Amino acid sequence: MTKYRHRQGTFAILAGAVIAAGFAASAAAEPASPNLEGVWKIVTPTKTLKPVSGSVPFTAQGHKQYEENKRLQARGAYDDYDITLSRCNSPGTPRLMLTPERFKIWQRSGVLTFDFEWNRALRQIDASGLPPVEDPLGMGLIPKMTGISKGHWEGDTLVAETTNFSDRTLLDDLVSHTADMKVTEHLRLTNPDTLEDRITIDDPTYFTRPWDAVVAYKRQPDALFPEDVCLDRHDAHRPVFLPQ
Amino acid sequence: MMTAILWRRALQGLVLAGTAALAFGAGSAGAQIPPNGASLATPVPGGPPSGAPQAPGGEAPGVPSQFGPPPPPPLTAAEKLVAELPPPMPGGLIPTAPVPAGAPMPSADPRDLQGTWIHNQKLEFRMQRDMYDAPAPYNMNGAKVLARRVNSLKAGAPFINASATCRPPGPQWQRDLNFPFQIFQSKDWIEFVFEEYHGRWQVILDPSKAPPPARKAYMGYSVGHWIGDTLVVESSAFKQALWLDVDGTPLSANGKLIQRIRKVDNGDHAPFLEVITTIVDPAYYTRPWSVVRTFGWHPGLTVFNEYNCEEQIGDPSVRADAGLVPEPQE
Repeated sequence: MTKYRHRQGTFAILAGAVIAAGFAASAAAEPASPNLEGVWKIVTPTKTLKPVSGSVPFTAQGHKQYEENKRLQARGAYDDYDITLSRCNSPGTPRLMLTPERFKIWQRSGVLTFDFEWNRALRQIDASGLPPVEDPLGMGLIPKMTGISKGHWEGDTLVAETTNFSDRTLLDDLVSHTADMKVTEHLRLTNPDTLEDRITIDDPTYFTRPWDAVVAYKRQPDALFPEDVCLDRHDAHRPVFLPQ
Repeated sequence: MMTAILWRRALQGLVLAGTAALAFGAGSAGAQIPPNGASLATPVPGGPPSGAPQAPGGEAPGVPSQFGPPPPPPLTAAEKLVAELPPPMPGGLIPTAPVPAGAPMPSADPRDLQGTWIHNQKLEFRMQRDMYDAPAPYNMNGAKVLARRVNSLKAGAPFINASATCRPPGPQWQRDLNFPFQIFQSKDWIEFVFEEYHGRWQVILDPSKAPPPARKAYMGYSVGHWIGDTLVVESSAFKQALWLDVDGTPLSANGKLIQRIRKVDNGDHAPFLEVITTIVDPAYYTRPWSVVRTFGWHPGLTVFNEYNCEEQIGDPSVRADAGLVPEPQE
């Protein structure tokens, strides 16, 4: 990944500036949706987003970037390809879903807030069906580590499509993507205590075809997460990701 | 061009020396009074000192009256030192549209605080006066700490603080910033999840379920209980001393914050949270003192903008210290 290719910005100072002109009348009566709320933890910790098909269908460009990342990793030049390791930058979507610590899902007013134990990271899926807030400043156009996720329910499955990515994150510890990536997730309970996330990566620049990975999470007892500050570990030269 | 994070950091006082052109609106940093004349829910420790001006409804501060309060006592040497400091930057507030008709509204249960809220007053860069418009009751140690911080700003070499290093800034600064937060609530605890700093403030209702952590937290350890419909939260055991605001109003690591939180709905489609914070810190103040803030209901801000200060902090192309200098220790 080329350094500083996209300056991630948020302009959240202006976040409160403009609110939607109106909420849909349906907002008052939230339809019953399957409840994914709870505390979850990945069943099989992994650094790699493993394709169901067995191998990542790289394009030549994608493969070249992957090899370059491996070379940089071997040299320890983390800031040249993985600013999560070098700076505690948000791992983004979907890599956050591979963090080995717990996360909570809050599901309120149609918005699912994923509250990660790792560095207090957040991602959200907006399945409210409400019209988007006015955005005269174009804040929605600013690339984000976690992208912009819109969701809807198909039976008991939450289908979330995420776009508007920064290209400064990785899919896992080595695989890059472009800013044009689209991630589609199918989230569902396979039993009351198991959450499944089928993740589809679609990024024609780096992959010859869309490819899937499936990650499972086990329900954990409700708990408050201890305050985790990745930068404290980073500055103490301890691993950014806690050993499992 | 100022980057997004720099905008934020400017707001937080991180690059104040170079950001005088920030177009904040004219602000006031005076007494903070609950809107709509809302009364205080419970008696507040540290509340109105003898001779303090009255809140609205009484005589205006400084207006002599046969029936008014006695004149305020003369400033102490410490208060005089604070009063002579350069004034703080005026706070700004970007207006938000009113909550539209048909939007989800908070629960009618006054003990259910859940939902999305945002500080709806101008950011106060320095808390110079308490909620009764009396000067903050600094002792000389506290006054010297504040003076050192304010003068470092004036000298163009502000001190490093939690916000500058992308660490949790403590409950008061975290709430004060004009960015949305969500409240999630269970019988055992209440979690405040903030857009800014991707922050988290946990209020424990049943300490047996969440005893103090082995390692102290930047946000401290907060235990709450209900008195009527007011949630009273005591925060202490901070990992390090706090800056309570941008200019560095101090709280020592052994200081306490007592927050009285209640939901107010006057039937005007504009519910809000009122948070009265009492600062208890004999290391820096002669007595407890209190400030009040209000937070408007804003379901339209439930989907946060991404806040990712770590990217900027670690950028090797910018100065790691952002031009800030270590604060001399006592």
